This record gives sequence, structure tokens and C-alpha cells, in this order.
Amino acid sequence: MYAQTAQRLRAAGIDVPNETGRRLTVLSNDGKAELLLLRPTDVPAYVEFGAADCGIVGKDVLWETDRSVSEVADLGFGACRLVVAARRSDGYHEGARYPTFLRVATKFKRSAQAYFAERDLPCEIIALHGSVELSPLVGLSDVIVDLVATGNTLREHDLVVVDEIAHSTARLVVNPVRFRAKYASLRELVGRLERTAVS
Amino acid sequence: MRLPAGVRDWLPQELAFKREIEETIRHVFRTWSYAEILTPTFESEEALERGLGEKLMQQTFRFTDPLGTLLALRTEMTTPIARVVSARLRNATLPLRLSYVATGYRYEEPQLGRMREFTQAGAELIGGPGVDAEAESLFMAIEALDAVGLSDARFDINNAAIVDGVLTAAGLDGEQLRRHKKLIADRNVVAIQDETIKQLAMMRGREDIVEFLRPLCKTPRSAAALENLEQILERARALGYRERINIDFALLRDLEYYTGFVFEGYISDLGFSLCGGGRYDALLPRFGYDVPAVGWMVGVERILLALERRRVDERPRNEVDVLVSGSDAIAAQERKNGLRVRVDVRGLDREALLVYARHKRIPRVIIANGGLVEEIDT
Repeated sequence: MYAQTAQRLRAAGIDVPNETGRRLTVLSNDGKAELLLLRPTDVPAYVEFGAADCGIVGKDVLWETDRSVSEVADLGFGACRLVVAARRSDGYHEGARYPTFLRVATKFKRSAQAYFAERDLPCEIIALHGSVELSPLVGLSDVIVDLVATGNTLREHDLVVVDEIAHSTARLVVNPVRFRAKYASLRELVGRLERTAVS
Repeated sequence: MRLPAGVRDWLPQELAFKREIEETIRHVFRTWSYAEILTPTFESEEALERGLGEKLMQQTFRFTDPLGTLLALRTEMTTPIARVVSARLRNATLPLRLSYVATGYRYEEPQLGRMREFTQAGAELIGGPGVDAEAESLFMAIEALDAVGLSDARFDINNAAIVDGVLTAAGLDGEQLRRHKKLIADRNVVAIQDETIKQLAMMRGREDIVEFLRPLCKTPRSAAALENLEQILERARALGYRERINIDFALLRDLEYYTGFVFEGYISDLGFSLCGGGRYDALLPRFGYDVPAVGWMVGVERILLALERRRVDERPRNEVDVLVSGSDAIAAQERKNGLRVRVDVRGLDREALLVYARHKRIPRVIIANGGLVEEIDT
């Protein structure tokens, strides 16, 4: 997400370079802002502990985190959908019934659990960390719950969307205490990011 | 042997510093004429549960005694104090001013600034119905943080009645009102649809926010609450605190506890607050005593963390005034004089005694040998 984030930050007046090389931190050109380049799932922890004042991270990460951060703006980019997907040949997308006890492979344990519980479908959640699309192909699970952007990865593996669960976009989260301590600058940042939505 | 998660030992140096901080805070309580009170570390679950919201009830350590009575460790002191005031202090003239420095216990995920056993220092003003009591709580908290060396701490204030008033005026009630209050308290603005409420949830200021809120506080209760905040700001100005205090519309702290005025103190280095409190008029009536109350508390470990981060605790400590070798009588006399005396129990020679004394920063050494007594300044 760096390229899009950098573009958005520049539009909001924080001049950051296009490339970061192998560095884990990047300074804005005027030295007033420092970006920490993190794994998406780590962003909430950094923000909750105040190691970062604020963070930009997908809503999908926020669904799954225990960390308490304040979600103050929807930045609109990085749009993707959380979906239930399965092998085309299984026909679930055309109304074929799920097996009595469904196996669901996913990185999104909470969201998957909630989705199937709401529909009273008993299931077993298999927590994976990556390459979730492989799972139904090798018989590890019946379906997957995963993020889809273009849909290319699904298509390439002959998987189809069975149902859409939710939409995710990049969000701005802040540490509640830092928001107060640095109110002037953070409030302004939020305002500028909202006003400069790049379509 | 490892300790369970969330608890720690306090070694002498660390404990000495902690005690210093506690004593500093106690001194502030005394200067405001508060009297210290203490309740048991554990009580019947039933007694404690009356004051706690759902979240705290889930975090309570419970156990049973041999007779099967369900007991619980206190998670904070405000509820036990409310209980004892209702049970034993009804004849006392109001207002009551009670302070405490006491441990609390919560079953939480241990992390920085959040242990399962922790110490809180706090003060409750019971029987003060108006803005004077609220100002007192706030100003005490400011003085306490100043006294422990955190004079750059800032304080945000708010009043739950203002938020209630604004949400009601927006047509919300019941479950929707509760939901919006929680969103506001967490500042999860994206989930708020109403533009005005969204804007307010991001607002923080002084006279500017008061003016913005004035037309939205139409009910007598919310108008009075806004008036109170204005008065507190004015009184804070008179004490030179104006620049350190802001009104934050989204400050609500524990939704189930605070019925009106609420405040929080913090510094910019940490990601969590240091102290906080407010008015909790609904608590004592639950114990059968219908009196208003305002209180606040500070987490001692959090103060220590803040000071540690700023390297304030790194002072070499001198624990001993004199090292004595070879004479019980001399040692006893020095102790009688009020000094901190260490007796050599290893039979060290003169050279070794001096090396030891310099290493331990002991300023004087007394060596008695036969009939001769030698005193050395190190």
C-alpha cells in the first residue's frame, strides 16, 4: 500500500519519497513527519502503545485486531472485499448446499466466525497466514474467507466468490491519548487527508 | 520459580522510589485535608459487584472460601469506599473527604502500564453536589502530577450530560444513544453517520468548543453542564492552569460510571492516561445512601513508568550513613542518634572496609580495634 499511501500523504502536505529502499523508517522532506513501514497486522499495536501517533491500515486488519485505537477517517483507497470463495466445480455459488460441517480456511478468524455464526452454519475455522487460495484445491478446506481486490488470484485458481461479507478500505487510526496531546497537528492531518481524497 | 503473569516483585531500590512517589501523593492529599482510608483486599463478590460495570466484573479475580462463599479481589477502591461510607459513615457531616493508596487486582492481558496487581492513589469527595467539588478533584490531580515531577501533564475535561444532551437533540435514544456514546468515547468517528456528531467527536478546545456546543445544549441539564465546564475553565485560568486544560467532547471514560463531569490527565510521551476521574452520583444510592460524589485516581505504576522513561529515577541512592566495625556499642549509639548504621559482619580489614564503603557510597567508617577507635570520612 506504500505507493498509494505516499501519494495520499503528499496530497495532504506530507512530502515523502516514492521509494523507501530497504529502510524501515522514512522521513518527510521537511523532517516533521516520520513514517514507520510495518506489516499491516502490526499497525494497531504500534498505535495503541503510542510507538506511532497514528497509522494507516486496512479496515480488514481492524476487524481482526484486539488493539484499541480510534478510527478517525476512511481514506477510501486500497478497496477490497472480504468474500467467501470456493472451487467453481463445487457449485456453492450456484446454490449447492454446503457440507454439514464446513471447513473454512482463512486469515480472518473473527470475521469468518461471525459470518457463519450469523447464518447458523456450524463450521471449523482453520487459521492460515498466507496463500489461502490453495486450501480448497488440496482438500484442506471446503471454502475460504479471503480478501479480493481484482479477483485475479481467485480466477487463476479456478475459485469463485460465493458471497460477499464486507468491504475494506484504508483507514486512519490514532492513539487516543496522542490525539489529545498532539491535537492541533493530528486534527489538521485528518482534515487534509479527508479533503484531498484522490479518486 | 516464575511469577504468574501480571504481578511483580519490588526490589529495594525500585520499592524505595515507589514509596517516595506514594508519599508525595499522600502529602498532596493531606494538604487538601483528605483522610486516608483502607478497605479489605477482598470482599464478597456481591458487595463489589454493586459498583462495577460489566467490563470490570469480567476482569475480577474470584475465589471461594472453605465454606463456599464467593469472594472477589477489589478491582478499585471507589466501590468499597462507597460501601463503607454507606454502612458506617452516615452520621458523619458531609462532605466527606477520603483518600487512599491501595492495590487493586484485574484479570487483564498484562502489558506496559497494565498489570494484574497495581497500586492506585485516589481521593473521593462525597456529598459535594456542584462545580466546587468538581474543580477540587481536578485541581488536586493537577497538583499531584506536578508534585511527582510531571508538570507538563495536560488535562482534558468534559461532561457526560453534554454528550447526552447533544445526542438526544439529534433524535437518538435507548440503544442508538448508547451505541453512539460508545463510538464517541472510542472516537470511532468513521462509524458515526450524523455529520454534526461526527464533527463534535473530533472536537477539542476551550472557548471555541463552548460556543459551538451552546446552541446544542438546550436541555436544562446539558446547559447547566456546559455552564459548569465554563466555570471550571475560568477558575483554572485564575490558578494559571488555562493552557493545560482543554474540553474534549469525546472524553467519557467509563460510560457506566460517570454521570457528569469527567476528566483525564496525560503526558505526550505515553500512549495511555495517567489519572482520571469525575462525578459518579449514581454509585452511593446503589448502597442505599443517596449522596453525590466526585473522585479521581492515579495509577502509581504509570507514574513510575513515565518518570522512568524520562530517566528521573536514575539517581544513585545512598542507603547507609555509617559503617561500623568492631564495636556493638558504637553502632548502637550511632543508631540512637538516628543514623542508618551498617555493621561489618565479615571481619574485613581497614583497606577492605574503605573499599566497601566507597563502593556503597557510605560517607563515614568507624573502626574499633582493641582500645583504639578510628573515624574516617570516605
